[in-house]
Amino acid sequence: MRLSSTIVCIGLIITLSAYSLHKTAKPYIIQYPAYFGNRIFVPDDNPETDAGVALGRMLFYENALSANNKISCATCHKQELAFTDEKKFSSGFDDSLQPRNTMSLVNLLWVRNFFWDGRATGLEEQAKTPLTGIHEMGQSLTVSVEKLQQKKFYHPLFKNAFGSDTIGEDMIVKALAQFVRTLVSADSKYDKYLRGEYKPTQSELNGIALFYAAPDPANNIRGADCGHCHGGPKTYSELYQNNGLDSVFTDAGREQITHQSFDEGRFRVVTLRNIALTSPYMHDGRFKTLDEVINHYNEHVLKSSTLSPFLQNKSNIVNGKQLDLNQKEKKDIVAFLNMLTDSSFITNKNFSNPFLN
Amino acid sequence: MRCIYCFLIFFFFMINTSLLFAQSDTLKPSVTVDGEVTKPLKLYAADIAKMKHSTVNVLSRDGKEHSYSGVPVLEILNMAGVTMGKDLHGENLSKYLLVKCADGYEVLFSLAEIDTTFTNRTVVLADSTDGKLLPSDRGPFQLAVPGEKKPARSCFQVTEFIVKFAKE
Ligand code: HEC
Ligand code: HEC
Repeated sequence: MRLSSTIVCIGLIITLSAYSLHKTAKPYIIQYPAYFGNRIFVPDDNPETDAGVALGRMLFYENALSANNKISCATCHKQELAFTDEKKFSSGFDDSLQPRNTMSLVNLLWVRNFFWDGRATGLEEQAKTPLTGIHEMGQSLTVSVEKLQQKKFYHPLFKNAFGSDTIGEDMIVKALAQFVRTLVSADSKYDKYLRGEYKPTQSELNGIALFYAAPDPANNIRGADCGHCHGGPKTYSELYQNNGLDSVFTDAGREQITHQSFDEGRFRVVTLRNIALTSPYMHDGRFKTLDEVINHYNEHVLKSSTLSPFLQNKSNIVNGKQLDLNQKEKKDIVAFLNMLTDSSFITNKNFSNPFLN
Repeated sequence: MRCIYCFLIFFFFMINTSLLFAQSDTLKPSVTVDGEVTKPLKLYAADIAKMKHSTVNVLSRDGKEHSYSGVPVLEILNMAGVTMGKDLHGENLSKYLLVKCADGYEVLFSLAEIDTTFTNRTVVLADSTDGKLLPSDRGPFQLAVPGEKKPARSCFQVTEFIVKFAKE
């Protein structure tokens, strides 16, 4: 990833002293623009290192981590699709379908709670789920350790990363987490615009304005207020909302984790970075196109007791009940969403399959 | 008048509890108080209802003022043994209160902003607005922060108060 010198690149400050790390493990500096902010999450016991990230990248593409040696993380999370796979529901090693749509892996350094319902705290805990899920990769960490032990080339890699001659279960998830934290996308057209290197088209500019503005017809301000939930340059804030997809819930979402009725039908707001590459959309992959998504927010938001207050009584006409954007405005918002595609992210050699090059 | 409200509140709780018994896997909403406290708390609606209430007015997004009735946050922090009042000096002035809401939203106050020996305003953990229980998409507990031009810190569905030292 190349970032211009006009942005301040901020490195991770890693306190190696607090960690009994192998002496040669060099800190890996994750670079990102200052406008992303530093509210990043790296656990003290798993600092980013060159060796750890390199190992994590191999494990991400390692089929031996699945019960039938046929799938890896990358089977569902493909780089060219911003780490998604075009499917409504991805197949596990046993060909059974996952209950929810595969999420993209973008800018997760700023996320604390993972999955559509936020049930995993930290990427280390998260990684255990696909690895051991009986319908995902379907293999216990104990078996994964045994299989990796048999592949001699892994021994020095684990030793370099964690200073240990024997492979440990925790090292597998730690290395994976270190790699996933490096998946930073910050070189889209929108970033170039934020850095003053790209002049958006009129349609893109309108889209940006509509995305962030709350509609205020009395004062002639038109808006879609997407930024209320997907706000800021990261197009992300860690919130759980019911965005009106259903009024009766087949998937209770966040409620299954908190057991609070006010969380029924709430899901985590996700980043919109690279969104044009990650169709289909929503936790159940119900929308194929961004046009369908905009139509949803514009005219199909369904009422329920947990519908987000930020999607109620928002309209571009006085006392209107729905958003009421016109066709051109809808196109403008899609033009903005397309600005979030980062071609250098999906071609970055540091994220690609290390077994191929 | 007041009696009718009491009855309504009572009635609401009856319905609520019967629903809760019907769906045994649903938990009752609560607000926890944790961090730099001597006594961690977990308060349920019934606990809040029993405590002494104050009423404050808050400007809402629609530009109108609404009244909110609830327990002063100061009272709750005192109950938890947070260093308020005469203990709010020296290093304790670098403590903050982080308020977390069910949807993941978080807002922050310095303790002095909450303490009536520093400020005239009373920040309230409200359980009713304009004489009615809070609507379900905002309640059961909403923060009511009077004297602010934007209602952004009057956050909905409060679930946690966390008191911490700023340690930069
Ligand atoms: C069979 C397909 C499949 C495989 C294999 C798979 N994932 Fe996923 N991944 C998913 C699905 C589906 C979700 C969303 C699941 C949910 O929310 O319940 C997801 C979610 C995630 C998330 C959460 C992203 C967020 O924003 O919260 C991360 C991180 C992740 N996967 C990493 C991995 C890693 C690392 C591996 C390999 C160890 C892996 N995945 C293997 C399908 C897969
Ligand atoms: C009230 C908060 C909220 C607002 C406002 C909002 N969204 Fe969302 N958005 C969400 C949530 C929550 C999800 C995930 C919902 C799910 O899958 O159940 C989501 C999902 C999406 C997705 C799909 C992401 C994916 O990876 O599948 C897109 C695209 C999207 N929103 C675009 C928009 C646009 C454009 C607007 C403005 C018109 C908007 N959102 C306004 C909360 C919001």
